Amino acid sequence: MSTPLCDLSAVEIAGRVRNGSLRAEQVLDSALERIRAVEGRPPSLEPYELQAEDRSTVHAFITLTEERARAQARAVDDAVAAGKDPGALAGVPLGVKDIFCVAGTPSTAGSRILANFVAPYTATPVARLEAAGAVTLGKVNLDEFTFGSSNESTAFRPPPGNPWDPGRVPGGSSGGSAAAVAAGEVALSLGTDTAGSIRQPAAFCGVVGMKPTYGRVSRYGLIAFASSLDCPGPVARTVSDAALMLGVIAGADIHDATAAHVPVPDYLGGLEQDVRGLRIGLSPDYFKLRYPDPQTGELREQPITPEIETAVRSAAEALARQGAEIVENVPMPNTHLGIPAYFVISRVEAASNLHRYDGVKYGFRYAGPVGDLKELYRKSRAAGFGRQPKLRILMGMYVSAEQYEKGYYQRALRVRTLIRRDFEQAFDRGGAHRLDALLTATTPTTAFELDAVYGDSVLMQYADLLTVPADHAGVPGISLPVGLDAQQLPIGIQLLGPDFSEARLLQIARAYERQTQTEAWRAARPKVLNL
Amino acid sequence: MKGTMSEIEAVIGLETHIQLNTRTKIFCACRADSWGADPNTNICPVCTGLPGVLPVPNQAVIDKAVRLAAAMHVDEIRPLSYFARKNYFYPDLPKGYQISQYDETLARGGHLDLPMPDGSVRHVRIVKLHQEEDAGKTVHQGGRRLIDFNRCGVPLVEMVTAPDLRSADEAAQYLIRLRQLLRWLEVSDGDMERGQLRCDANVSIRPVGFEGLNPKTEIKNVNSIENVRAAIEKEIERQKREVEAGRRIEAWTLEWDEDTGTLRKMRSKETEADYRYFREPDLLPVRLEAGWLAAQRAALPELPLERKARFIAQYGLPAYDAEILTEERTLSEYFEAAVAARGGEAKSVSNWMMNDVLRLMRERGVLAGDLKLRPQHLASILRMVDERKITGSTGKELLARVEAGGQDPETLVAAEGLGQVSDEGALRQVARRIVEDNPGQVEAYRKGKVTLIGWFVGQVMRQTGGKADPQRTRAVLEEILAAGTDA
Repeated sequence: MSTPLCDLSAVEIAGRVRNGSLRAEQVLDSALERIRAVEGRPPSLEPYELQAEDRSTVHAFITLTEERARAQARAVDDAVAAGKDPGALAGVPLGVKDIFCVAGTPSTAGSRILANFVAPYTATPVARLEAAGAVTLGKVNLDEFTFGSSNESTAFRPPPGNPWDPGRVPGGSSGGSAAAVAAGEVALSLGTDTAGSIRQPAAFCGVVGMKPTYGRVSRYGLIAFASSLDCPGPVARTVSDAALMLGVIAGADIHDATAAHVPVPDYLGGLEQDVRGLRIGLSPDYFKLRYPDPQTGELREQPITPEIETAVRSAAEALARQGAEIVENVPMPNTHLGIPAYFVISRVEAASNLHRYDGVKYGFRYAGPVGDLKELYRKSRAAGFGRQPKLRILMGMYVSAEQYEKGYYQRALRVRTLIRRDFEQAFDRGGAHRLDALLTATTPTTAFELDAVYGDSVLMQYADLLTVPADHAGVPGISLPVGLDAQQLPIGIQLLGPDFSEARLLQIARAYERQTQTEAWRAARPKVLNL
Repeated sequence: MKGTMSEIEAVIGLETHIQLNTRTKIFCACRADSWGADPNTNICPVCTGLPGVLPVPNQAVIDKAVRLAAAMHVDEIRPLSYFARKNYFYPDLPKGYQISQYDETLARGGHLDLPMPDGSVRHVRIVKLHQEEDAGKTVHQGGRRLIDFNRCGVPLVEMVTAPDLRSADEAAQYLIRLRQLLRWLEVSDGDMERGQLRCDANVSIRPVGFEGLNPKTEIKNVNSIENVRAAIEKEIERQKREVEAGRRIEAWTLEWDEDTGTLRKMRSKETEADYRYFREPDLLPVRLEAGWLAAQRAALPELPLERKARFIAQYGLPAYDAEILTEERTLSEYFEAAVAARGGEAKSVSNWMMNDVLRLMRERGVLAGDLKLRPQHLASILRMVDERKITGSTGKELLARVEAGGQDPETLVAAEGLGQVSDEGALRQVARRIVEDNPGQVEAYRKGKVTLIGWFVGQVMRQTGGKADPQRTRAVLEEILAAGTDA
């Protein structure tokens, strides 16, 4: 049986659409067919009761924009027919995490408070993808305002299921992105990573996800969670596809003062270089979980899941066989402080970023009678925000209050500097380790079951323990699939590198992918595709 | 705190918000000036704080804020300063936070030495000078709140004085000098009626000699310098009465009611609000290169009070003239250019400017810099008058004619024969005819009413269209009239 068009890589789709051997509309039809087959009932704000079939379908899309996609596909086909350049992503099906504004499209952030908000403008990375010929199929689900690691906090339910086992979470917050890509509903998805929100769901869903250097991709149009941490980035099925997509979205932007004016290299061009002589580090601090006991505050320690540790070590061996130099015992001593510092910094920024949702200008407004303005604010926010935004607002307000700010917020900022220093020392060209990349597990476990962790905000946060340090430090990271565990769930590893080393990370990831192309697990398909 | 009125002094600090006159807003490309625009017509996703937008700093705002800071003699313009978020809820603050500066602001310290009309000088310290964005406007109308976002994102400098002012007059003088400075530096139009300069006043009283600060009230919503003076005066009197009556001053916020000229209590000041300031992650730190900063400082024009002092010292002008000529920068530049073109004669230039040029400006409603009558035109008219090529009245007429047409005054004089009648023969002829035609006046003169000479001179001037030299004319007339007596 031939591969459905929607399962082709973005590189192949764009190549064939550009040379005229495939029409964008054919690809679109194939993707729509896949969506109909695997989506199940669409997520909505209606009171949610779990139905049996919800545990066998994906529910990735909050909004399907079929007409927009059709028009874009036709425009690509017309351009090809007219001999014009249709763009580097011609005809590639794209899903946009519903945290990005897209003109004329509901931009909900997975929240009731923005459920009726239709953006009047388009986010820079989305605009660049569409200008390159990508076909936007719609907006995919996420944790409410990206606050979570499982997608269970979305106001649009049912939440997405993991295509490998829809009774399990896809991870988050870019869970809809990873699930849609894994299930072949789209070839590419634009996600965001604030503590691991691209890499963790990519690992859970067996796809590639890259968090670029902070500032590599413009945040304009990204509905802010924690502005000093948020990074847009690609979710794709292959390393090459991620490289192709990153090349399109990266670069300076007049609408984002924090977007870097660093030239964008040809990520795809250098991808096939070998890894001979590259120094790849392993850190004991990434093979264990150290965290304060939620009750006693005492520091506890436990190893990551043995299967995952084994996967990381065998990936290192695979790279060593290609000539990479493996550097053991790289100390990253502040790794365990990542989550507590993140708890503080992200919530201070989140509480401030959420101030604007007040029921006055746009979005949800409490419809009942109110006595005064304050009551309108209170009731609109009480009914419009779900539990996660409320928790984060409370925490953020608390730790930024004048009397606590020094003890929490300022201290967390200092911790952030320490975490950054760990990376600087590991990558220092004149230092003891001189790493090109640090290789770690992406997540301490594989995908957990729906409802197993949700409700425990602290525990949920530890799903990001291995990913959040890179967000603090601003350095890039890529998660890629390296196999399946005993339950046939994907395992992900991540490579972390110095600022603006995306090309190098992609090259290493591609080397691993190339070498393991024939391994048996690569033939396995997500459960939703085998039904 | 008991005492008689004479032992009580006022302690006043002013908090000003200065709207910078940049072309665009501070963080987006909307026009900064929305004067006269319909509500919510000069807005964009950025200044209305839609989800996902980001601020992009306007370099012109930083340039102007730096210029103002330098002119306020700040102790330091920080090479690295930060924007911060000031978080609070209000419907006309669309993001729910105002982008301002909090710690490590643009500048530290500063002062203005305020000359008072009585010759004393009040040293006013600046305790805060930072950049921020303006919020929108709320209008209450029949129980409804109407919001206009046009003003959102208009660049402001917030500048706060120490409690160094001691009277309502001093507060008014401070604002007059500040407004003069803002226009001089071209950083703001400084029009209080248009909200380009806003002022809240903190007022308390204390016995003279007491160095501490008593509870103060804050006066808001005053929109002219005169009203600031009136409101502070009223509040000082009220506080004195309260204290006289043995009551305590409470920390109220008072609102000025322009229609009734009275102060109204807005609210009792509760505990300071917690704005949960933190550095704005959407903006990079403001980095100012040392070389650039030095160039900015070097490019700072001579300031009005310095220029006034120099005019007195260098040109020997009376303080009154120097004050008027330095009220506005282009006027002072005009004066200096005219003196240079005339090659001196500063007092004469000053007289002509204060009497005639200023009147022309008022009539046309323009600044000196916008006159068609350029300083070299004025100088050449003055030279012709001084050299008696034309009469003073022809000179004054010429000012208006050059301003109307912009022609060179010397060319005008030559082309239209406006030169003085200096031909002795022609002058005598006219004078003789007037003497012959007016025997009655001649007789009266000869009988001793010598003041009539002025009438004879006037007749000659009329006959010659003002071109006769008045002194020459008088001499010739006296000679003719005297000769007649002997005859």
